[in-house]
Amino acid sequence: MKIETTRSAQSVRLQHAVGFYRSDTDLLAQLVPLVTAGLERGQPVAVALRPGTEEALYDVLGSPAGLILLTQPDGRDSSSGQTVAARRARELRELSTATGGGPVTVLSEHTSRLDGLDGGFWTELDAAVNIALAELPITLTCLFPELPLHPEILDGARRNHPLLLVGGELRHNPEHRCPRDVLREWPTPTPVLLGPPDRRLSFGAWQLYEVRAAVEQAVLTAGYERPRAEDIVLAVNEVATNAVEHGATAAELCLWTGSDGFVCEVHDGGTLGDPLPGLRAPHPSEPRGRGVWIARQLCDSLHVWADRSGTHVRMRAGR
Amino acid sequence: MMTRAGEDLASPDHACAVPSSDEQLWEMSAEFVGAGLSAREQVTYFDDGTVEAVLERLDDNRVPVADSLQTGQLTVVAAEHTRAALRSPLEAVRETVLDLIDSSIESGWTGFRMTGQFSYGLRRAGGIGLPEYDAALADVLRGRPARLLCFFDRRHYPDEAIGLMRSLHDKEIEAPAIYDDNLLRITSIGPAALRLAGEVDHSNRPRIRRLLETTLDQAQRSHDAPTDITLDLSSLRFLDVAGAVSLVHTAEEFPSTHRLVLTGVRQRVLRVLDRCGAPFAAQLTVEPRPEPREQSRGGAMP
Repeated sequence: MKIETTRSAQSVRLQHAVGFYRSDTDLLAQLVPLVTAGLERGQPVAVALRPGTEEALYDVLGSPAGLILLTQPDGRDSSSGQTVAARRARELRELSTATGGGPVTVLSEHTSRLDGLDGGFWTELDAAVNIALAELPITLTCLFPELPLHPEILDGARRNHPLLLVGGELRHNPEHRCPRDVLREWPTPTPVLLGPPDRRLSFGAWQLYEVRAAVEQAVLTAGYERPRAEDIVLAVNEVATNAVEHGATAAELCLWTGSDGFVCEVHDGGTLGDPLPGLRAPHPSEPRGRGVWIARQLCDSLHVWADRSGTHVRMRAGR
Repeated sequence: MMTRAGEDLASPDHACAVPSSDEQLWEMSAEFVGAGLSAREQVTYFDDGTVEAVLERLDDNRVPVADSLQTGQLTVVAAEHTRAALRSPLEAVRETVLDLIDSSIESGWTGFRMTGQFSYGLRRAGGIGLPEYDAALADVLRGRPARLLCFFDRRHYPDEAIGLMRSLHDKEIEAPAIYDDNLLRITSIGPAALRLAGEVDHSNRPRIRRLLETTLDQAQRSHDAPTDITLDLSSLRFLDVAGAVSLVHTAEEFPSTHRLVLTGVRQRVLRVLDRCGAPFAAQLTVEPRPEPREQSRGGAMP
């Protein structure tokens, strides 16, 4: 897996806008000028749209060079907004780098397929996007229906986007709040509970080697290749280190090796300073914060949530 | 009597050592075995759960282990046979070792040496104690081109047994460390050169930084000290992200006259360093381990 080391200064370059549509016709009427404008500027235009919208767009525009389809969240990890945001950041960083670090236009559309129980996925995704894509030269416009099934989706969308798309123009959004505030109001959801773990281990700051040994044994036994196994051990070590770095109490590791590949959870009794750690590429002069970022790069999914009992992380890493 | 002279450290005729950590046991065992191999002696290692780590350490030291095993210059006695030997009557042990020595010489080797994990002898399964075995072996070795290094490591031997066995050996070999916490062992391997063996994580990572600062200080104060601060990482099996970041930052903060040189870096450690900006640090040189480690030992990690 390719790991990017970003050495530029961290300033917010992301332009993150929200637009609302009444009907599919209205949606297309708003989308087409945005795509065309991006392509005319000679920028790549990346889209994450419903299949129907995608088709309609191609019907109108043909298959213009420079129009790129982003990977759509699918399957096991598609309920974790932060995981989807981290993946999208990786994809868009590569796209921007491939075009010499130039600007990219991105268009994304709500799909009820990912709503989950209450639509909280979208609120988490857009808050995480604000962090993960902050330093990328990207103009991202997210389009939501005016009347989604879950009203929370609209509340979240209005808070997460600093810009509003109105009549084809981008305007300042007075309702915008920073990710921290948004996540305080709508905390990151607890994922669906897994069955009893194959292994459970309590550990403190001086037993991290036991965590590594347990993970290494689990993934090697499950037939993972050695370099992949070593990367997974590193990822879990970093999350486990975070769990015991500040807390005086012991943390807990639970691991599963089933058909989904390697899954583990790290639980500790502490509170999160950063509600979504490891999403922003660390600046080289900062000694801290790199561990979880690297762990996110190495795992297929990494979901952090908090509740009254403390902080929790679930990681999944396939072969 | 303590022996510290360079020659004797690697090649005592009959001595004991009391390692306080696994890493130290592997280091000293590999040193003794390696010295025998390079002196064209035949070496027998009596295993009881430690040989894999010792062979890995020899490999770290660039000793051609696979070749030595293939030619028979190095023989590993499997744990069950080691235990059987420790249950045998003294006379049989004496015979066996005498045969081993004689056949070594007949085969043209310059001598014979043996070591290994003999802690099974503590169980007195044959009704004979370790002191008797030790005396019998010492008797066979006397006057012959043969050497024996007995390890009484603290993990396998109770204090009482260590005290007793120490008193029965004329020579004890020591291997001082700068730091050893049973997870990570740091030794001095020359002026401004250290060797790290084991794992670096949250529990011991601050030590490295402090040690590097001290080493740099000493190097700057001394006129003939090298301008390269070398860390031999051949036996470093794990480095966490903050540890890698710390090495990169330390090198970046070096005065322009000095470099931090990491040698023998394993692929696993190399990948972490690469992810933490090591390729961009001008005063950091990373020398990977020359060739991939052979997979013949099942690739198992200790």
